Amino acid sequence: MRHDYEAIINKILDSRVRLPHGDVPVKKAAEEGGCGVTGFISSIPVGGRHIFEPSLQMHNRGNGKGGGIAALGLSALNMGVSQEVLDTHYLLQIALLDPNSRGNVESSHIEPFLEVHKAEQVPSIDDYRDIEGLEIRPPDVWRYFVRVKKDVLDRFADENKLQDMDPHKAEDEFIWQNSFRLNRKYYASLEDKQAFVLSHGRNIMILKIVGYAEQVAQYYCLDDFKAHGWIAHQRYPTRGRLWHPGGAHPFIGLDEALVHNGDFANYHAVSEYLQQHNIFPQFLTDTEVSVLLLDLMNRTFDYPMEYIIEAMAPTTEYDFDMLSSEKQRIYRYIQSSHIQGSPDGPWFFIIARNDPYNKEFQLIGITDTAMLRPQVFALQEGEVQIGLLCSEKQAIDATLQSLAAEDSRFCPIADKYWNSRGGSAADGGAFIFTVRDSGKGDGSKELVCTNKFGQVVRTSENQKHPGTDADLSAPANAEQISLTASEGLETHYFTDFKEYCRKNMADWNYASLRHFCDEIRRLSETSSRLRTKAIEVLTHLNDRRYPVGDKKRSSVLRMIRDALTGIFDACPGLNENSSSAYRYIDWDTRNTLRTPHDNEKVLVLNAGAFPPEGDDCDARLICAAYETGWKQFICYGYKGQRFCGCGLSKGSDCVRIDVYDSSGDYLASGIDGLEIFVHDNAQDQLGQIMKHGKLVVYGDVGQTFMYGAKGGDVFVMGNAAGRPLINAVGRPRVVINGTCLDYLAESFMAGDPLNGGGFVVLNGVEFGEDGNVISQATPYPGSNLFSLASGGAIYLRDPHKKVVEDQLNGGQFVDLSQADWDLILPYLEENQRLFGISIENDLLTTNRGKKSYKDVYRKIQAVTLDILAKESAASEEYGEDWQEDANGDLPN
Amino acid sequence: MTNDKWDPNKKFQLPEIVETPSRFRNTIGKYIIRRNARCVSCGLCAELCPCGVHPRYENYVLPLRPLAHKCMGFECKENDFFCVDRCPEKALTLKVNPILETLGDYRWPSEMLIAHWEMAETGNLPKVGLEHSLGCSGGGFDKIRFRPAESDKYPDISDEDIDTSVRLNKRGDGRPEKTISIPCYGGGMSYGSTALSVMVSRARAAARLDTLTCTGEGGYPLDLLPFKEHVITQLATGLFGVREETIQFAPVVEFKYAQGAKPGLGGHLLGDKVTANVAAMRETVKGNALFSPFPFHSVYSVEDHKKHVDWVKEINPEVLVSVKVSTPTDVDMVAVGSYHAGAHIIHIDGSYGGTGAAPDIAKKNIAMPIEYAIPKVHKFLTDEGVRDEICLIASGGIRNATDVVKAIALGADGVVIGTAELVALECVRCGNCESGRGCARGIASTDPELGEMITRDWSEQRIINMYMAWRKQWCEILRTYGMRSIRELRGRTDLLVHLDYLDESERIKYKPAPMKQMII
Repeated sequence: MRHDYEAIINKILDSRVRLPHGDVPVKKAAEEGGCGVTGFISSIPVGGRHIFEPSLQMHNRGNGKGGGIAALGLSALNMGVSQEVLDTHYLLQIALLDPNSRGNVESSHIEPFLEVHKAEQVPSIDDYRDIEGLEIRPPDVWRYFVRVKKDVLDRFADENKLQDMDPHKAEDEFIWQNSFRLNRKYYASLEDKQAFVLSHGRNIMILKIVGYAEQVAQYYCLDDFKAHGWIAHQRYPTRGRLWHPGGAHPFIGLDEALVHNGDFANYHAVSEYLQQHNIFPQFLTDTEVSVLLLDLMNRTFDYPMEYIIEAMAPTTEYDFDMLSSEKQRIYRYIQSSHIQGSPDGPWFFIIARNDPYNKEFQLIGITDTAMLRPQVFALQEGEVQIGLLCSEKQAIDATLQSLAAEDSRFCPIADKYWNSRGGSAADGGAFIFTVRDSGKGDGSKELVCTNKFGQVVRTSENQKHPGTDADLSAPANAEQISLTASEGLETHYFTDFKEYCRKNMADWNYASLRHFCDEIRRLSETSSRLRTKAIEVLTHLNDRRYPVGDKKRSSVLRMIRDALTGIFDACPGLNENSSSAYRYIDWDTRNTLRTPHDNEKVLVLNAGAFPPEGDDCDARLICAAYETGWKQFICYGYKGQRFCGCGLSKGSDCVRIDVYDSSGDYLASGIDGLEIFVHDNAQDQLGQIMKHGKLVVYGDVGQTFMYGAKGGDVFVMGNAAGRPLINAVGRPRVVINGTCLDYLAESFMAGDPLNGGGFVVLNGVEFGEDGNVISQATPYPGSNLFSLASGGAIYLRDPHKKVVEDQLNGGQFVDLSQADWDLILPYLEENQRLFGISIENDLLTTNRGKKSYKDVYRKIQAVTLDILAKESAASEEYGEDWQEDANGDLPN
Repeated sequence: MTNDKWDPNKKFQLPEIVETPSRFRNTIGKYIIRRNARCVSCGLCAELCPCGVHPRYENYVLPLRPLAHKCMGFECKENDFFCVDRCPEKALTLKVNPILETLGDYRWPSEMLIAHWEMAETGNLPKVGLEHSLGCSGGGFDKIRFRPAESDKYPDISDEDIDTSVRLNKRGDGRPEKTISIPCYGGGMSYGSTALSVMVSRARAAARLDTLTCTGEGGYPLDLLPFKEHVITQLATGLFGVREETIQFAPVVEFKYAQGAKPGLGGHLLGDKVTANVAAMRETVKGNALFSPFPFHSVYSVEDHKKHVDWVKEINPEVLVSVKVSTPTDVDMVAVGSYHAGAHIIHIDGSYGGTGAAPDIAKKNIAMPIEYAIPKVHKFLTDEGVRDEICLIASGGIRNATDVVKAIALGADGVVIGTAELVALECVRCGNCESGRGCARGIASTDPELGEMITRDWSEQRIINMYMAWRKQWCEILRTYGMRSIRELRGRTDLLVHLDYLDESERIKYKPAPMKQMII
């Protein structure tokens, strides 16, 4: 059996020897940036308009020099063919850079070999200049539904001794080689490029232009074009002038489209590895070699997806040790054959894949082992299911909002958001959303999310999104709820009221909740006092975790947030005649900014329409408002706008900003005094160089959290992604209730925590479905914890001693002293107040009952490292082995 | 070459040159002149010498030790005032200072060092025959020469009328139009790597020269605040001492992605130099070495970089952004990427630079020499049509006034100077900057005693003097080509030759690069 595999692999590789290629340049055609990627796949086909909004929001991750879209699982109706043709025929799309080249292309590479079922020009709008900002005319694209002619395929099999191969797979290979030849003749060999193949897989298509991704959808009229899966890419090539989209993503394998965020350090090595297998890059980008590598392992080596992922993003260090011995054995083989050819450097792939042999559509996200690119995964399961992955969480939210506006079966908030850690032993750092037949016999499809190891990721099956509108009509207990709401807002025992609402949430149905939210919102408009309380109670319900009964938490949040948004929207503008303490400002009214009057306390800023950065961004407006005297802000409607809270500088101690919705990167970076409360998950690069002040995040935070921070009190309800608190100094005091993916507090230099320095408390807990606090499998899964730190400490809640010495790099475990506990206790108390995570009942209680702090917390402190404390000139010059060498111990 | 018109009304008020002798008793000079016991103190030598080698005071008749560093040496033999010959008692002897054999290195030979000390003392070109513009490296700027001017027309433009200013913001993006009056500004050397008095005096000199200096990544000592309009805040990968406030102080923020001397390595300060004060400034632990990460952990791609730049622009709406990168083979792409990310200044740092603290393995083996990188970037930016919207600054082994104009003729707008400013403060290039606090000259030291060997007034003036001497050389060269502004020189590679690429017959017309075997 093994022999057969090898024989076929060799025959395929041999057949490619005859492919024409010229000298392949050593260098990439252009350097490009990390770019912005987004993708989603749904159990039902949805229109291309929904890729529009997330693409638009990630504009600032591209520079308009390349945008591309792939659609997977298309609609036979849209394509004007039968379902059978759509499933079995290769959908060849050719970009004609020179519109006159079509005749030649067809007569040389299509007519002689391929049976064309249908040929048509991909429809587009008449004049590209109608699309604002589109400067280069996108290519004409011709689409052909083809099969390889029988005699041609037989001859191909004979010539290459591929008779033993599954004829369908031989046909796949022919199609691939034919496209390669076409690209060679009309693209790679020419200075003036004429044509190239955009895509040639079954039931998958790619379109790309010189412009932004959303302009692809506009130009090629994809708004109502339906497909199960969509991916889009905003390219950021550093070269300024491009006239054709040959280098834009996605790139094709056979039935796969791949987009890529990042760039490789070893492009040359990977492309050399490919050349050893007779595969020659033609477009000279990282992305092309990535997909060629994928195709090699997929179609030629016939690896299962798990092994392909392992070959791309190997499991290393501590994670490798954590694998079962069986996995270790296989992975070791994979790594020894592939590690030289595996992409090195920052990258994140999104792959849309049609697997016609198993009748599945897949959307795959793979993170590199070092996890150097931002990525967020999300899943929503209800009547319809959808899986999403993006560079930024806000793009996921934008997709869902766009879908929810059109189809009530979608909720604008996902059930689950998470980051992945490349090469992780727990989940492999890669997730696959598979859409396949639901087995109900009605042709409907279902979506399943699995990780690299095939374990299913799912949300609660007992909870449901609201179905029909009937679910939301006036509830039976409407009067009682109205009374509760009005009394609650007036009561002196307001804390009890908040608790009451929280506890009732499980029993209320959607209709009751909706009614409650409406009532609160209505009451809020009567006075500033009630508005304050209404915001407080709804914010409390938004922030905290509690049992929600048979409702989906995401749908509950949707109602609460809609109510909050309604309250904020209703605040009077700065020009309006009102005695309200709340004043509203947005993009259209930004010029009305003025000094607050005596009774005016809170500036309510709708950030939605502001640009995400630049002189006109909302963060600058906050600075300007602060200068005129505003101290308290509610900022909402965020769609990834960046830098919130930055620029107020020293002395802003009395300022408070409450942030709602999808806030953006660099929030609170540099703050020096003020308080920021983020009432949702936050994104990347929060709290960089933060000096002083308070940051509270009711959710997760993204990558490089508090890089180079100097101080501040920080509370995070959920997890931090990779590389938090690197190079932090001074006295940052941080409580992270979840976990961190890797490199927590590398080079931490925050003095002596018992003497005014800084520390991190890592609790390693998460919330269960009913809002209870449970311990995560391990408080810290990665390696390089506190590595090369010279000051500060980590207080790790690890009652079962799951974290081991191997995960440290230079630090040491010590027992907690009373002084340590006295130091962190006030922070845990504040943590309890903010998030409801009880010290006694949650943190100090394990499955073996209540414990003393000494048995639950462990301290990791810095040890004086020789390498840091002193370094001889000699060891620096010659390396550490120098002295041995000098003593004549050199091996001969 | 450029559309920038120089406005003669905005004439730069040159700072005053004040003679600022060495702070050590015996200045190192090229020659040694000794007076022996036969001297009868007749005073003839003092009368004869026009260079002031033989000091003599009224009412004091005993002979004094000669100020040998002022002596023009054997060249003087032809003169009728040659003291050695004229001394009636034959009490004077002259010889070449043997220290020359051990001083300096191939890139900064002894004569270049001594010449710069003299420029820093007098503000003029050295009178003594010292090779101050060519080193013995056998390559680089030492093999590049200016062609003789085609016309010997010598327009009579005074130094004051020659423009040596550089525009830093060419983007027209509404941010301040900042101009510096000399085509140089000071490179980043952190508090910790150099003494506080050195930092402050560099800033004071920058203020008087109407240019800039840079904090390096060791924080922003508040002593610099009075000169904040002339101090760049550096944001490097360790983010040490960077706060919103320090970003708001600065007219320019420099992102240090890499250093040409050690690309792929972050800045580092070894344990010994992390004194209590240094640790306090950086808020770290005393005695522990500080290694900055090699990348910015928040920047792994150009759109991350853009976000980074946008962030700093948000914090300080008036600030200009400089991006400092080393010179890998794709430095041209990096430069244009930085432009598109919104940078005002792209600062390319070639491989020759770095003080002693950069490990030799990096300093001597990585990154492209700056004379290759400048034209590559200049040409690429020109081809991409953005050259006149960005200020290209070069650094890394630019040692003297001639190197500066060579770099400009290769395509840079201006340069960044690090080592030469320290040489003006009498650095001897011993290359032991990293080893503890014991800089022999008290420059690269934060030791409480050594670090005070330098007074701020003295070093401020020394730096000014050196730049004033440099300016004279620039004006000289510009006049040769009939140029009124140093901006006209930018990208004029046609005025340069590289000795290696000339026919023998051509090559002999140029002065060969000095080649000397050195004791290092």
